[in-house]
Amino acid sequence: MAEAVNRPEGSRGLFWTTIVIVYAAIMLFPIFWMATMMVKPNDAMFARPTQWLFVPTLDHFTYVFEQGFHWSLLTSFVLCTVSTALVVVIGTPAAYAFARFEMKAKDDLFLFILGSRMAPPVCLVIPFYLIYAKVGLLDTFLGLTLAYMTFNLSFYVWVLRSFCRDLPVELEEAAALEGWSKVQIFRRVVFPLLRNGIVATSVLCFIFAWNEFLFAFMLGGDNVHTLPVSIPKLITSQGVRWGEMAVVGMTALVPVLIVVFILQRHIVRGLTLGAVKG
Amino acid sequence: MSATTEAAPAHVSTPQGLRERVWYPYILIAPSMIMLVVVSLVPFIYAIYLSFHQAKFGRVRDFIWFDNYATLLSDERFWNSIGVAATFVFIAVPIEFMLGLIGALVLNQNVRGRSVLVPLLFMPTMMAPIVVGLLWKIMLAGSWGFFSYNVLERFNILTDTSVFASPDLALYALIFVDIWQWTPFMMLAFFAGLQALPLGPYRAAAVDGANPVQIFFHITLPMMTPLLAVIGLLRFIDAFKVFDTIYILTNGGPGTSTETPSILANKMTFEFWNIGEASALAVLVWIAFFAFCTIFYQVAKKRLNAF
Repeated sequence: MAEAVNRPEGSRGLFWTTIVIVYAAIMLFPIFWMATMMVKPNDAMFARPTQWLFVPTLDHFTYVFEQGFHWSLLTSFVLCTVSTALVVVIGTPAAYAFARFEMKAKDDLFLFILGSRMAPPVCLVIPFYLIYAKVGLLDTFLGLTLAYMTFNLSFYVWVLRSFCRDLPVELEEAAALEGWSKVQIFRRVVFPLLRNGIVATSVLCFIFAWNEFLFAFMLGGDNVHTLPVSIPKLITSQGVRWGEMAVVGMTALVPVLIVVFILQRHIVRGLTLGAVKG
Repeated sequence: MSATTEAAPAHVSTPQGLRERVWYPYILIAPSMIMLVVVSLVPFIYAIYLSFHQAKFGRVRDFIWFDNYATLLSDERFWNSIGVAATFVFIAVPIEFMLGLIGALVLNQNVRGRSVLVPLLFMPTMMAPIVVGLLWKIMLAGSWGFFSYNVLERFNILTDTSVFASPDLALYALIFVDIWQWTPFMMLAFFAGLQALPLGPYRAAAVDGANPVQIFFHITLPMMTPLLAVIGLLRFIDAFKVFDTIYILTNGGPGTSTETPSILANKMTFEFWNIGEASALAVLVWIAFFAFCTIFYQVAKKRLNAF
């Protein structure tokens, strides 16, 4: 690696480490500040000058639970799990096929997938809303699950294909020579080798669905009410419920915090659509 | 992070023994392709259909050719939104790019504890954009917001009002938020690229006694160029469609000073119910995106040998 040539001494390493730590602390300060607001009484929150010490309160938690916050949490969780599972089931074979086989107009098909991923959601939500209003899919689980396919299925196929291409083709050839069937080869050779890639990519899909706002806001409703959607709902005509928004916001952060630690090597690869292999 | 951006074999390697079955791959891709046609191509075609019709309040009336497009293109508000998006993207992305590159070079030094620091640095990029918006709504709230009170007021930039209520500053505040959110992405993508560079040229440079500045400009930068181009382009495309953060922070206001095409299309649809014109806007944006997308694909495939 490049750093080996630079041969930094121990003290210089400490210097750069300190810089990165200070930078990270400043950048993450707003998250810490929002976390304190979960238990901050309103009078301390609006104090000028900024009040650092306060007597914690659970009022904000009480309020969000009264508003059915736990149902939003459950909705988000179920919706993201189901839509991610569907993506994995139908997307995995496609990713494998794109990595391994010659097809007619493959480049065009591939560009179509990339196009689905890149399309601005706000453009999609207009026709989606009108079509859903006609066929009765507004405010249903099925409706949102389908809508999430636009960005997640295309993302999944695109990124998993780059994982597939890393697999050595010889193993599949050997299995074919042994007389294994196509299904056997896929299940017993490809799938086990691809498992890490599938986990990494599908966890990213889960997070994208978890973070999604616009579709959930426009195509959801009282029945299907996800966590991100409940944030702007707390800006009411009687005032903004800051502490409550902080509770919802921090809850939405928990899976993200877990995922950045588990997936660290794969996040770069996912977010750059496989252009950089992390 | 051990990264490799080396060229994968350009040809497709099909396992021997599976080669003769031409129909096999089509069966594998069929479910995905059918699904994507339903959720992505059908809405696009429907949007084109709507854009050629007079459609208000959910009712589709007469076929009117390009009238919606003509109205849209003569609408000052449309051109304003293009200008806002252009300002946003052309200020935010270059700054993210430079800061990201500097950050990647720092991170590439002998930094300890990367396995903890790298995930933490990724937080802003990975969190929900709506929560990013919320975070800065709190920090920059008028009068009591932490950043408003302790920085903006102290340095007399603003007093007792939120920066998002100022027509001159709101857009720059949104740019600032975008920089906060996306610099880590640039930084860590570039860092992965740096880690993957081959060592040979560096050894040669060390033998020749090159200084760090020379090494950067004559070795690191040229080898990184394709990667920088691809990442920059990707971020450029994404920055154009930012919606959630702007929606919760300003929703296009004050006036139309932060109204991007995404926000405008959303208002046209769900506030004015002017669906024909909103669809025309959506179709134009869509076509522009597809053009960018094609460029991204070509650059990534040819220059970076990715995909």
